[in-house]
Amino acid sequence: MNIYKPELMVIKNIIDETKDTRTFKLQFKDEEIAKSFSFKAGQFGEYSLFGEGESTFCIASSPTRSGYIECSFKKVGKVTSALAKLDVGDVIGFRGPYGNYFPIEEMKGKNVLFIAGGIGLAPVRCVIWNVLDLRKDFKAVTIVYGARSVEDLIYKKELDEWQSMPDVKTFVTVDPGGQSNDWKGEVGFVPAIVEKAVQQSENTIAIVCGPPIMIKFTIPVLTKLGFAEENIITTLENRMKCGLGKCGRCNVGNVYVCKDGPVFTYQQLKTLPAEY
Amino acid sequence: MDEKLITLNNLKIFAEELLKANYTLILQDKQGIRWEKISNSDELHISSKLKPTKASFKEFVFSKTEPIFYFNNKNDGVELIDSNLSAEKMVFFGSKPCDAKSINIMSKVFNWDYKDNFFNTKAENSIVIGMLCEYRDEFCFCTSVNLSPVSSDGSDLFLIPTDENNFAIRIVTEKGREFIQPFLKLFAEGNPETTDQIFKKINLPEKGFESEVIRSWIGNNFEHKYFERAGEICLGCGQCAFVCPVCHCFDIVDEECGYSCGRRMKNWDACQFSLFTLHGSGHNPRHNQTQRYRQRISHKFKYYVDKFDEILCTGCGRCSRGCPVGIDIGQIAKEVHSLAANKV
Amino acid sequence: MNELREKAKELLLNNTVKLIIGYANGNGHNRTYPFIARNAADANRLVFNEYCVNNLAVYLTRKEFKGKGIIGIVAKGCDVKAIIQLIQENQINKDEVYIIGMNCNGAVNQLDNSFEKTTLAQKCINCTVRTPALYHALIGTTKDIEEPADTLGEKIKEVEKLNADSRWDFWEAQFEKCIKCYACRQVCPLCYCEQCIVDKTVPRWIESSAHTRGNFSWNIIRAFHLSGRCIGCGECERVCPMDIPLSMLNRKMSIIAKKEFDYSAGVSLDSPTLVGTYNMKDRQDFIK
Repeated sequence: MNIYKPELMVIKNIIDETKDTRTFKLQFKDEEIAKSFSFKAGQFGEYSLFGEGESTFCIASSPTRSGYIECSFKKVGKVTSALAKLDVGDVIGFRGPYGNYFPIEEMKGKNVLFIAGGIGLAPVRCVIWNVLDLRKDFKAVTIVYGARSVEDLIYKKELDEWQSMPDVKTFVTVDPGGQSNDWKGEVGFVPAIVEKAVQQSENTIAIVCGPPIMIKFTIPVLTKLGFAEENIITTLENRMKCGLGKCGRCNVGNVYVCKDGPVFTYQQLKTLPAEY
Repeated sequence: MDEKLITLNNLKIFAEELLKANYTLILQDKQGIRWEKISNSDELHISSKLKPTKASFKEFVFSKTEPIFYFNNKNDGVELIDSNLSAEKMVFFGSKPCDAKSINIMSKVFNWDYKDNFFNTKAENSIVIGMLCEYRDEFCFCTSVNLSPVSSDGSDLFLIPTDENNFAIRIVTEKGREFIQPFLKLFAEGNPETTDQIFKKINLPEKGFESEVIRSWIGNNFEHKYFERAGEICLGCGQCAFVCPVCHCFDIVDEECGYSCGRRMKNWDACQFSLFTLHGSGHNPRHNQTQRYRQRISHKFKYYVDKFDEILCTGCGRCSRGCPVGIDIGQIAKEVHSLAANKV
Repeated sequence: MNELREKAKELLLNNTVKLIIGYANGNGHNRTYPFIARNAADANRLVFNEYCVNNLAVYLTRKEFKGKGIIGIVAKGCDVKAIIQLIQENQINKDEVYIIGMNCNGAVNQLDNSFEKTTLAQKCINCTVRTPALYHALIGTTKDIEEPADTLGEKIKEVEKLNADSRWDFWEAQFEKCIKCYACRQVCPLCYCEQCIVDKTVPRWIESSAHTRGNFSWNIIRAFHLSGRCIGCGECERVCPMDIPLSMLNRKMSIIAKKEFDYSAGVSLDSPTLVGTYNMKDRQDFIK
């Protein structure tokens, strides 16, 4: 068994989220694999274009929706730039699912607060749909999402959908200066919106994902609200190559982010060197 | 413990028989650079007094570069072709204890949960004939990392020179016993007590530090400015990692061979390179050399121990002998030990 | 030694320099390693002797030091050649470096840090800069030393005599050994590129794999990038763990630069760089 050899997936749909961020809907070429494949919210994969290399993204679709997976990526390097040139019907490689996952079972019966910034919504979106598809198992659901500007918001259709749901409180914000003329959402940085939108921490799990600077300023807000460190959960984005706990790249302290993570509680993160 | 005796002459015949039986014999080269395959038993040059080669034999079980599969981008889709796993039967002849231990140490990371068959196949196809070591210099520190010049840990068979032309050979593992079985006519019965006496006379390198002290000090002093001293002179090359018998980090890159086909390669990589952890966004979790040097020390003496219960170091001293700027890992560990002792 | 330490102390105490890049004794008697002196106590640890083989000029372009004020550096004549070349290539400002020039009687040949052999280093044979060409302070005296024959020149001539196929075989056997640790690049004072061509991935010019093909491209391209720039300090060859005779390539390129353009790198602040200067009279017939 060659753990480094990917399976082939066909691009079924492409959504251009922003000028440099895309979402692929993917299906396994091999039907047997398609049938047996399963994953959990928070896990990731290694996506490859042969001749260019591999890149690590989370699975952005929910495990409650089987038959396909989705991933969203920003064009930054060699592999993502090449992936951005592909069309529907093209074939890419996929290895996964890898890593640990969000504790959906333990979250049942609790309030869930989702906080995301920029492309950090991708892993959070996976959990949001997982929770919304099992809506009755959870109490209040709040979503706070922000991006630099209106143009940088991803999953725009879904943001509208969440905002229209009566049993979900959704706050979408853009950084000051990033609003367009017809922008009707919030204006302000994510931590400030969280402070405004959230009043209590009791029986609540907060899932936070976004740029390091957002996380840095959001954590104190949550702490002030009374969130216990073990109830704040995030997912790390260390550079990875193998995804299998071998190549050493994502090693931070005693953990391999690809195997022991990428999902960590704030309590666990605090025991690690700040090398993420 | 089972022990046999063999003359130097018979050892050469043994090597010849092994070559005939299609084993690849791999030895320290005469220049002291690396391990080399020999094709003739006359080239068998082994001695307990040899200086460790600049590079370890790691390359034979964990290649500096190897294809993990081939791809062919065709009009009707992509075809992936498996890379052949090597079936070569390798014998590492006359390995020092600090090299012999390396396969077992690396095996931990290549086998927790997912199994890396590129490493495993080669490791399974390897026989390590260790040898007592009588080389010493100021860079050696095997006794500080739970090894010793007489340790057979990691060897399948272990050679002990009894005089210039005679050896005792200990059968250490079952694998070693099976391996030697067809050749037993070349060996006489030995007496473990005689070699125990030899072991007792071997002059051991002084133990410079307690690895357990280093482990706990790193855990409590992660931000200590001590690491800056090595960090500011370290030039960020990969010499230390690449000559190390147990450093095992790697990169995965695609290579094109022609217009539409190519291969995916698994290549050595090193935590001392600034690009190792650099994100596509430009963010680098270890953005300076001090952090990268600290990672090297921490991974060896703390993280790997915590995770796999093995020190990621055999005390061979290669990284220190070859460091372009003279950073000496044994010396650093010693200094950390004294920092810990003085509770600084 | 005292002279060096006194000078270093003076420079640090009167704030002429922010720090001094020099040598200190390492573990074991016969070793020195690069050492950064920031105060008088540090200055007392500075040493200079035949074991000071490192070319410390490599530190001048590192981001930890560059542009952080005036840097003092303990430099042999060959190291000063690198400093001159760095100034010429606009990598360092000549007003931001204070050269403590050392009159040098040769460094030892280093097999590795354990100094088993103590013959004169190859780079010291036929040395013309035992007194540095540029300095702010000069320490020590030169004395006559015994110089062995220039075996490097001989080796180059031998390989030159071979036909193309045999030369290829010679270098293939050398480059096959390369493990791509990049010690040669990291230790080279003139390999200061922010992003090395071997690390560029879009497009990838040089395969990062350490197979013979990737190793050929790396070592040959590096030799070309150093043509007319290498000052011959021999550091790349000294640190190569696989003993690849890199000095042969670099010396050969220097010989060509001298013969075809009458140029030697790092000799004078007044001569403009070879590859950085366009001259209508430049010969081209050596391109074959």
